[in-house]
Amino acid sequence: MLKHLMAASALTLVLAGPALAAKEVTLDLVEPIADYKIFVAEKTGELVADTQAFVDAIKSGDLDKAKTLYAPTRMHYEAIEPIAELFSDLDASMDARADDYEKREADPDFTGFHRIEYGLWDKGSTEGLEPFADKLLADVTELNKRITDLVFPPDTVVGGAAALMEEVAATKISGEEDRYSHTDLWDFKANSDGSQKIFELVRPLIAETDPAFVEKVESNFNDVDVTLAKYESGDGYELYDKLTDQDRTLLAARVNTLAEDLSTLPGKLGLD
Amino acid sequence: MTTKDRDIETRRTGANRRQMLLGLGAAAGGAMALGARPSAAAERQVADAPTEAETVRRQPFYGEHQAGIVTPRPAHGMVAAFDVVVTSPRELEQLLRGLTERILFLTQGGTPPELDPKYPPADSGILGPVVQPNDLTITVALGASLFDNRPWLAHLKPNTLQRMVEFPNDALDPELCHGDLSLQFSAHDSDTNIHALRDILKTLSQFLVIRWKQEGSVPVIAPKPDGTSESARNFLGFRDGSANPNSNDAGLMDRIVWVGAEDGEPAWAAGGSYQAVRIIRNFVERWDRTPLREQEHIIGRRKMSGAPLDGGNSEHDVPDYAADPEGAKTPLDAHIRLANRRTPSSQRNLILRRPFNYSNGVTKNGQLDQGLLFIAYQADLQKGFIAVQSRLNGEPLEEYIKPVGGGFFFALPGVVSPGGYLGQSLVEAAGKIPNEQS
Repeated sequence: MLKHLMAASALTLVLAGPALAAKEVTLDLVEPIADYKIFVAEKTGELVADTQAFVDAIKSGDLDKAKTLYAPTRMHYEAIEPIAELFSDLDASMDARADDYEKREADPDFTGFHRIEYGLWDKGSTEGLEPFADKLLADVTELNKRITDLVFPPDTVVGGAAALMEEVAATKISGEEDRYSHTDLWDFKANSDGSQKIFELVRPLIAETDPAFVEKVESNFNDVDVTLAKYESGDGYELYDKLTDQDRTLLAARVNTLAEDLSTLPGKLGLD
Repeated sequence: MTTKDRDIETRRTGANRRQMLLGLGAAAGGAMALGARPSAAAERQVADAPTEAETVRRQPFYGEHQAGIVTPRPAHGMVAAFDVVVTSPRELEQLLRGLTERILFLTQGGTPPELDPKYPPADSGILGPVVQPNDLTITVALGASLFDNRPWLAHLKPNTLQRMVEFPNDALDPELCHGDLSLQFSAHDSDTNIHALRDILKTLSQFLVIRWKQEGSVPVIAPKPDGTSESARNFLGFRDGSANPNSNDAGLMDRIVWVGAEDGEPAWAAGGSYQAVRIIRNFVERWDRTPLREQEHIIGRRKMSGAPLDGGNSEHDVPDYAADPEGAKTPLDAHIRLANRRTPSSQRNLILRRPFNYSNGVTKNGQLDQGLLFIAYQADLQKGFIAVQSRLNGEPLEEYIKPVGGGFFFALPGVVSPGGYLGQSLVEAAGKIPNEQS
C-alpha cells in the first residue's frame, strides 16, 4: 500500500515511467479494441432483447414484471456508456434524468429509462408509459445498428475506463441516478464492470512496464467488487438505501482513486 | 492547571503590544526556522483584519505547533471536513505522510512537475506555472469519529474530543456536520485555498472523501497611521475578536490554546489544540431591521467603535462588569458579557477565535444565506468552547443566528523538523498496540 501512495503523490515517477512510442502502442491496441467491440456487441444485443421484454411488460400492463426488468435491462446500457454516449441524441432520449430539464418530470422532452422509472415507481402504474416504451425500444434498436457500423475510436475505448468511474463518482455515489426505484447499485456494478473490462483488455500492454499501477488499480477494483457483493440479493442488488455510510465512503474513495488513476491510461498507452 | 486559572490580562494597549513584540522575538528564535516572518506583521493579532502587505508571505511549516492557529488571519479561509478510509496504523501513516508532503509543497511553494501533455497535468494550474505560497496555511485536525470507529486508535482519543454537541439553538444539517478529519485553509486569496484543496483531493483520494466545506473571508483593512490594526467585522457589522487573548504572547497561548505535556492528555497530543468549527447562519435581513440601540445591547458593544457600552472609545477598552452588577450599562445577557464575564474564574474558559464571514447564496425563502464560519482553538474543549457556548444558550442574539453545521476536531501537534510528519506521535503510539488490525 505504501507503493500506492507513492504512485498517487509522486505523479512524475509513475507518469514519466513508460515512455512508449505512440505508433507501436496503437498497433498493440488493435486486438484489445477488437475484443472490446465484441463485448459491446454482446451487451447491445442483450440490451435490445431485454428492452423488448421490458417494453412488452409495460404494454401488457404488468407493473410488477416491468419493475423487475427495469434494473437488469439498464445494466447492459450502463456497462457500455462510453460508446453509447458517442450518440448524444440517443443518450439524451434514453438516459437523461429529470433534472436535466428545467421543468423536471413535467418536461415533454423527458423520456427514456428514467421517465419510465418515474411512472412505474412514483406513479405506481404502467398507464401512459406506452409511448415512452415504444420510443425506448426504437432508440435501443437504433443504437445497436449504429454501434454495429461504428469504428471504435481507441481514445474513446481506453478513456472509457476512467469515464465510467467518473460517471459513478458524479452520479451513482449519491443515489440520485435511480431516484424513484433506488436500484443505483445495479448501475454502479455495471459501470464498474464496464470499466474493469477495458482495463483487463489493455492490462497486458502495461503489466510489465507499470506493475505498481496495475496492482493498485486491481486492488481498488477488488475493493469495489467485494463491497458491492455484500449487497447482492437474488439476481441483483439491494436497494440503494441499504448501503451503509461506511461502505459508501469506502466506495467513494475507491471510485475517486480509480477515476484518478485510470485517467492516465490513455497517456500510458501512448494515445494523444 | 493552576497556571491556566490565573487572571489573564487580555487588554491590548500600546504598552502591552511592545511587550508582546519582545516576547515573540524570544519565542521566534527556535521553531520558526523555515520561512521568513516579516517583523512588521509580528505584532498583529489572530483576528486583526488582514492588510495588503500579505500577498507574497510564506508561513513557516516546521514548528512545535501547526501554522494557521495563532497565525494572523489572512483574508480568506476555508474549512473542509472528510471521511477517512484507513484501517490500520500503517494506512494512517500513509495518509498523514501524504498530507505532510502536500502541505509542505503548497504552503512553501514551488514548481509542479511538467508532464507529457498526453497525461492529465500534475497540477490544476489555477495558480499558474509556479505555485506561490500566498500566505497559505493548512491546519490538520482529527474528529472523534476517527478514533471511535477504530479499535486500534480509540484509546488515544484526546480527553475532551467528542462529536459536536447539538446546542438548543442549533438546527444542524447532517450534510454540514462532523467528520473524521478537518483541514483549515487560510490564504491571501480564495483561489489559493481552492487550489490546495483540489491538490489534496487529487493526490489523497485513496484515503479522503470530502463531506462538506465552507469558505469565508474577512476584509483587508490598511493599518492605521500609528501602525495598529483593528479587528475585522462580522456580517452583523460588529467587530469580532476584540476580546481575543493576545495571540503573540507565547506563555498565554500555552495556557489557553496549546495542550501541554502536563494536561493529562495522551502524550502524543502535546502541542496540539482543540478546534471548534461552527457554521452559524445570520438572519441578516432581520438584523438590519433591528434598531441600532437594540443591536448594541444584544452584542454589548458600540457598533461603529467596538467600544464596550460602559465607556471608552475603542474595541480594546475593557468593560468593568463589577461596577455594573445590575446590567444598567451592559445588559446581563449581552453576548460579550455572557461569553466572557471577565472574572478570575472565567479566565479558564478563554478561547482563541479565528473566524471568517461566509456568503453562500439565497435560501428557499428568498433570504440571504450568510453568516460566520466560526473557528476557535483551545487547550480544553469542555472548558473552552463548550462552556462558553453553554453560557450563551438562550441569549437574545439567538433570534438572529442559527448554527447549522461544523464539528469538533483536534489539531495535531506541529512537525518540528524535516523528516517528521504530521501526527507522527499518534501513529507511533497506535502502532504499539499488540492486536494491530491490518
